[in-house]
Amino acid sequence: MPSAVKDSNPELLLASRASLPPAPQQGPREAEGGCGVVGLLANCAVPGSAVAAGCSAMRNRGNGKGGGLAIGGMEAGALGVDAATLRGDYLLAIAYLEAEAREAVEAEFVRPQFEVHAEGRFETAGDPRALGMEVAPPEVRRYFVRARAAALDAFCREHLGRLPHDRLERERWEDEFVYQNSYRLNARHYASLGKKSAFVLSHAKDLLVLKLVGYAEDAIKYYGLEDFRAKLWIGHQRYPTKGRVWHPGGAHPFIGMHEALVHNGDFANYARVVKYLKQRHIAPLFLTDTEVSVLLFDLWTRVYRYPLELAIEAMGPTTERDFELLPPSRQAAYRAVQTASMKGSPDGPWFFIVARSETGERRLQLLGVTDTSMLRPQVFALQDLGWRESPTFVLGKAARGEKRNEPAPAIGLIASEKQAIDRVLTQLRVAGLPFQKPADRYWNARGGSYSDGGAFIFTVDGTGRLTATDKFGAAVTVSGPEPKLGLAESKGAEALVEARAHTQMTISAAGAAGIKGPRDEASELVVDAAEFPLEGRAGLAAFVVHAYGLGWRRFCLFNTSGHRFIGCGLGAAKVEIDCHGSPGDYLASGLDGGTVRVFNSAQDQVGQILKSGRLVIYGDVGQTFMYAAKGGEVFVLGNAAGRPLINAVGRPRVIINGTCLDYLAESFMAGDPLRGGGFVVVNGVRYTGPASFEELETPYPGGNLFSLASGGAIYFRDPRRAIGPDQLNGGKIADLATEDWELIRPMLEENERLFGITVDSLLTFEGRKLKPAEAYIKIIPTKLRALSVAHD
Amino acid sequence: MGEPLPKPRAMPHAEWRKVPKWRVRYSAECIDCGLCIPACPYGVHRRAPGSLRLGIPDDFGCLGPACEQAHPAGPEAVFQEGFCVRQCPTSAIALEKNPEWQTLGDPRWSADLLFATWTAAETGRYPAAGFEVRVGDSGGGFDRLRFKFKRSRHERARDTELEAIDTAIPLARRKEGPRLQIPVPWYGGGMSYGSVGLNVMLSRAKAARAWRTFTCTGEGGYPQELLAYKDCVITQIATGMFGVSETTVQAARILEIKYAQGAKPGLGGHLLADKNTGAVAAMRETVAGISLFSPFPFHSVYSVEDHRKHVDWLRAMNPRALVSAKVSTPTDVDMVAVGCYYGGVDILHLDGAYGGTGAAPDIAKKNIAMPLEFAIPKVHRFLQAEGIRDEITVIASGGVRSAHDIAKAIALGADGVVLGTSELVALNCTRCGNCESGRGCQHGIASTDPELNALWDADWGAQRISNLYHALRLELAEILWRLGLPSVQALRGRTDVLYHLDRLPPP
Repeated sequence: MPSAVKDSNPELLLASRASLPPAPQQGPREAEGGCGVVGLLANCAVPGSAVAAGCSAMRNRGNGKGGGLAIGGMEAGALGVDAATLRGDYLLAIAYLEAEAREAVEAEFVRPQFEVHAEGRFETAGDPRALGMEVAPPEVRRYFVRARAAALDAFCREHLGRLPHDRLERERWEDEFVYQNSYRLNARHYASLGKKSAFVLSHAKDLLVLKLVGYAEDAIKYYGLEDFRAKLWIGHQRYPTKGRVWHPGGAHPFIGMHEALVHNGDFANYARVVKYLKQRHIAPLFLTDTEVSVLLFDLWTRVYRYPLELAIEAMGPTTERDFELLPPSRQAAYRAVQTASMKGSPDGPWFFIVARSETGERRLQLLGVTDTSMLRPQVFALQDLGWRESPTFVLGKAARGEKRNEPAPAIGLIASEKQAIDRVLTQLRVAGLPFQKPADRYWNARGGSYSDGGAFIFTVDGTGRLTATDKFGAAVTVSGPEPKLGLAESKGAEALVEARAHTQMTISAAGAAGIKGPRDEASELVVDAAEFPLEGRAGLAAFVVHAYGLGWRRFCLFNTSGHRFIGCGLGAAKVEIDCHGSPGDYLASGLDGGTVRVFNSAQDQVGQILKSGRLVIYGDVGQTFMYAAKGGEVFVLGNAAGRPLINAVGRPRVIINGTCLDYLAESFMAGDPLRGGGFVVVNGVRYTGPASFEELETPYPGGNLFSLASGGAIYFRDPRRAIGPDQLNGGKIADLATEDWELIRPMLEENERLFGITVDSLLTFEGRKLKPAEAYIKIIPTKLRALSVAHD
Repeated sequence: MGEPLPKPRAMPHAEWRKVPKWRVRYSAECIDCGLCIPACPYGVHRRAPGSLRLGIPDDFGCLGPACEQAHPAGPEAVFQEGFCVRQCPTSAIALEKNPEWQTLGDPRWSADLLFATWTAAETGRYPAAGFEVRVGDSGGGFDRLRFKFKRSRHERARDTELEAIDTAIPLARRKEGPRLQIPVPWYGGGMSYGSVGLNVMLSRAKAARAWRTFTCTGEGGYPQELLAYKDCVITQIATGMFGVSETTVQAARILEIKYAQGAKPGLGGHLLADKNTGAVAAMRETVAGISLFSPFPFHSVYSVEDHRKHVDWLRAMNPRALVSAKVSTPTDVDMVAVGCYYGGVDILHLDGAYGGTGAAPDIAKKNIAMPLEFAIPKVHRFLQAEGIRDEITVIASGGVRSAHDIAKAIALGADGVVLGTSELVALNCTRCGNCESGRGCQHGIASTDPELNALWDADWGAQRISNLYHALRLELAEILWRLGLPSVQALRGRTDVLYHLDRLPPP
């Protein structure tokens, strides 16, 4: 091992911080709510307008009390420097809340410490109040700097006891020098005694953070970044709970050294994590759990130099059955990491998006990590146009494969809502980039799992290729867009309207007020959702209720994009709603009769408390699908995310052709399916086109199946018998009886009619025709003594 | 004040008698002269028509020696007539504490409070004297708070003065949206079908309708019989969402999201197997004989922006309803309160730890979260500093037993309160604490057992609760009168009229 590694050991780095000014008087932590997050990494520079589109789609996840951006992989020219400076210099971005602070800040924290190779300010777009902001955003100046040799030498002599041996070691100490300088600046000018005059936004190489009191898209508008191009972006809508006095310093993203992090969630163990950090001479200054998260990330990756995989493990440990399923070598490493970081692991709910810029490695990374229980919404997406050139193009394996001069455009995205991803892609198309909605693939991470580790990492390296891998390094592959059955997706909205030419009325938000009743019951109202607000009294869902009141019974909604509560508020209704585009959360939650069809994936909270009626989803559904449902016939072409059918009762009858992340049918109480109760059929296949599918590795990867269920049943298509009793907590595996098959066959036949997944093919495995009892197993509840009536 | 409020109607119980506090006995010296009969304004001494002998004294009305101070004709009357013991020419009347008395009650619900509440439910008035109805014996919480009255306890208000005192509060305070006011600063808390029987739910609903206030479904479905009272029934949406459907959401004028329960914060609702009978399971569409647990969180609400979405969802289903959020009292309850407000909530319901029936686990009861008397002012002041106090209604609950508790909660900063156990006590609950077992409630309250439920009917129960409401209003009006305040709204946040036994000497 080179001596540098030994000498620059983490303890010395941490010890060097002991002389930092202590964190000023700690007030109570700022109460942090949830938020809306979006991140993207492309192998070509994309404009800020696309990120603004994604952020504004999730405006309802913030409250205008904090918005921010991180930008990496920028174009040097736009910042007035050459490429070498952008890559080689620290981009020190300082927010001045008071203009007069600048002189003092520069005199103490910039000029004497750094050689400034270039500097400038971000031009701003006039009056912030015109953009609807209550608090004027800070004046932001950027400095391209390197540590002054003398200052760095002195710093090394003091803390290392000598000069660094080599370039690598010197860089590590220069990082720390920059880091501590920013800490001192923040402690002096931001955190101390209520005086807030300036703070460091970011100090990494080729990574910039901007934030303000407002919405994230306001930052893009205010700093004129609509046409600013960069490869790596994250945007954050903040929803802090306390509502009055806000400073931009509290907005996300927060920085470590080479990374910026945004967060959706809230720690249960904030105080303990702060203690863990303080024991390592790291003091949070901004009193939010997001800052603490990125400090942890910086500690583990830069100071302790954990490989990314182990840093993620320290964040969200693998537990229980998932841990048991890891290979022994990983178990040993993970156990060591868990032991060392147990006191520092943030206790969920949380979801992090991290942007990393490591110019030395010429590497940009975007990663999303979910907590073990997947308590916050998260969607990942990938579009890689490489498949066009080579139909078998496999991402991640591509690096070793074909030689190409210019890699095909590719983009990876992470967001709280799928619709935000779709908006970004749509806007990229508008901006003239080759991307388009839908992405080739959408998926969710399974937190703390053996299957994907609960994290996905997009990387663009020096070759310009974009790879997507899970925590373990396994590549996510695409071979073209996912097949879709949705009409609007394949033919476009115009075709849709034309196809429905027999309809009496097509209406958009502008004409909504003047709507009249239908000619007859069969008339269909075609609604262009684009301009409707996402929720509220003028929103799309309320409009449907209004039109229903006027007698309309058939609806076709297109261009939906995050519109919430579609199909709610109709009461016991005879209604038919076709939904195209990307509908928002709480779709058909409360439906009691009628039919709702979604020709795409739906988001979180679909079919909550569903009482009766039919729901058909030509894609995936998000979290807490059919929570506390009472009934209904439901068909899902793809997967369900975490916690589907929790607390469902009565007689819901559901087919999920894909799989579920975890916690399927916890506390399921739906009677006896053979006597009118409810059940779920999980086929465990991936739709690959008309009448074709591929087998998933297991129909259900999770460790919490049918937990504490007391009624109903789950039918798994599991010819390999991959489901084991270790996944159950209170249920048991039973054989499929004839009457079970008679019960589910009509549902499977309907499933065949809807999606083209034939009963025959479901009963075929490895070329062999199976009996139903060979293809399917049944999970039934066991009577738990602890939960039953006491008998003597 | 709009329409007049209901009047009380005597409503004793035919089968059971209360445990009397005092025992009245005649010794052999008694000459049956009957002088004691007119001496007692409460009818303890009596003689059957035509009989020469005195009957067995009716102990239940006896106030004990305290009646000397509380003679309805004024203190002078006592001197003239004396109370029975002194009036007896042969000193034959013996007055002694009933030895059974000490078996009654517990520190929070003292025997005095229980007995006085039963009396109130029977007659519409608390006993005139001789019972401590201001505090219990817990030695903490509201029991260590006292009022600094302007008028002494010996001053008596005229009935017209008490009637003139305004006890109404608005429930909707936002600038936009529906208006709603209740004539008394309380409504009934959530009790599910299953935790209590249908007769209890109907009694509470009928009383709520008579008083133009509300009661709440709890989380156990919405029995058909309750639909007739939907204008005064709050639909509760708790974490298991049993019985919550669009129909029941649309039926309500108030929707209550139960995020947590003060008696057991961090735990969901639970109904033990014994109480999950066939009828209860059918109402919840579950399997009978299995313990039912609601999850401890809402699986769709893990953050404040989820909360806003959740409220928006309820509004999408029922745009006309007020939305209440019932939360427990963690140390950052002020943040919770502000988050609720910005999430669109109309009523913030702070549920403290002193409540809970016998079904709440002992380890949770009173051991988790911040005491209610600290939480209320914390929230009240924080909302004031935030400038939004007058746009949200703050309701306190969890161990509110009496008019004094109501007044204290309001003086600490709440707008009103929610009653739970008090209403059950009005139905003859003795606080025996067997609520979790199916046939454990001998009074047929916390049970859906048909035989036990048949012990009394909903009209009887409704009148008992209505009588209690009458007594509470009267007592509350008297407190306000003694404080020199014209209305209950004027009391809100007046911590200056309170003192804590640990902090201040009595004035």
